[in-house]
Amino acid sequence: MKNVLVAGGGLGGTIVANRIAQKLSNEIENGEASVTVFDKSDMHFYQPGFLLVSMGAMEPQDTQIMERSVLDRRVKFLSGDSGSITKIDADNRSLTTADGKSHGYDQLVLSTGSHLQFDEIPGFAAGADTFFNLEKAKEMWQKVRSFEGGKIVVDTAMMPHKCPVAPLEITLMLDDYFRKKGIRDKVQIDYCYPVPGVFGIPNVNKMMTKIFAERGINVHSQFALASVDTSARKITSKEGESVDYDLLVSIPPHKGAQVIGDSGLGDRRNWVSTDKFTLLVKGHDDIHAMGDTTDIAISKAGSTADYESYVVSHNVAAEVAGTGGMKTYPGSVFCFIATGMDQATYIKFDYSHPPVPPTPSQVYWWSKLAYNKLYWSLHARTMI
Amino acid sequence: MTDLKLYKTIDATSENCAGPIGELSSALNDAYVGEAVAIILGDDATRDDILVWAKRTGNEVVENTSEEGRHRLVLKKVK
Repeated sequence: MKNVLVAGGGLGGTIVANRIAQKLSNEIENGEASVTVFDKSDMHFYQPGFLLVSMGAMEPQDTQIMERSVLDRRVKFLSGDSGSITKIDADNRSLTTADGKSHGYDQLVLSTGSHLQFDEIPGFAAGADTFFNLEKAKEMWQKVRSFEGGKIVVDTAMMPHKCPVAPLEITLMLDDYFRKKGIRDKVQIDYCYPVPGVFGIPNVNKMMTKIFAERGINVHSQFALASVDTSARKITSKEGESVDYDLLVSIPPHKGAQVIGDSGLGDRRNWVSTDKFTLLVKGHDDIHAMGDTTDIAISKAGSTADYESYVVSHNVAAEVAGTGGMKTYPGSVFCFIATGMDQATYIKFDYSHPPVPPTPSQVYWWSKLAYNKLYWSLHARTMI
Repeated sequence: MTDLKLYKTIDATSENCAGPIGELSSALNDAYVGEAVAIILGDDATRDDILVWAKRTGNEVVENTSEEGRHRLVLKKVK
């Protein structure tokens, strides 16, 4: 019996486990292989939906479903203490869970994701609203819908963070929301970004800088967040600039999972050192990493994890079945970018080809919403 | 240079949403004062941007080399 263990039951872990089970269906049926997903939570969240929840464009209950219901029936699933990994022992090819049990593996996939750090920056937890988890996205929508005028600051605390286009999206959605509400002239929107420009890719930066100027959005960059002063309602950057706010919408700092650090598999921010082509953890031929988990200079996005899942599932199955032949990841990424409450564009690129975003249109907006609907029925279950 | 501890090397020769400066600023944020971060770049314009950024942020460029169309910069965190 060969054991494939998948650490993490988010978008990446779920999809890769389903793909591996499909590829190893004969081995699983014959009792020669097993695939097990570990996650503390038994709920699966569609995190890209949180942006829409924070703007009242998606119902909160539509962003979550029981993890078991999207996993292939051949995949085992452990949650709670049984699924909460406390240590990974790469030397002995095993991991330990919070219930004290040890689980040996032949192939391990790390899909432990990125995690929000609300306490890393002084004042952040008390002063900043965000849409990066479901509860806070719901709270933010209540504040947005009751906002009658004043200054909204959209701030990105630091790089890297999941869903890199989200700061652009929320800024342009807020702009459009208040235009459609007829009070845009009473709402000032400022955008603070920790590196020069409004986005890291030149083509996208050029397009978005132009749109921001046309929409009257003030840009502060570079602005690396140092502190939030909740009593004075202002944020200050490491560069020494201060910006006051009435509503602060901020993207919190991110780190990799604590178990990565505790197991000596990550850097100081718990990102796992990973080969950008093979997606193998450097120094290990039996540990694969994907999605937000890696330290690869690529976007931490759901589409990244999805594209990577084709490579990782193939390579894991090839090792288990003994068929050989490694696939490599070309750096594929695809992201819709909302540019309002009814329009969007998109970026598609890989290691060798930069994105060329098309002119925003309603077609891409509806495509974005349609994809959100199709995620549960088709994508998470890897029907496509 | 021989005593300089390299915290991390970033391969920024490909497209990514944070951009080379985003990746570099993150790594330098986590590096200790006195440590360095190396970054590999695929074009002249990005190298020039980072040299300007380093000057503005007070990070010391201790190596600036090129080979076969790729540039390697090493920045030391000094404060």
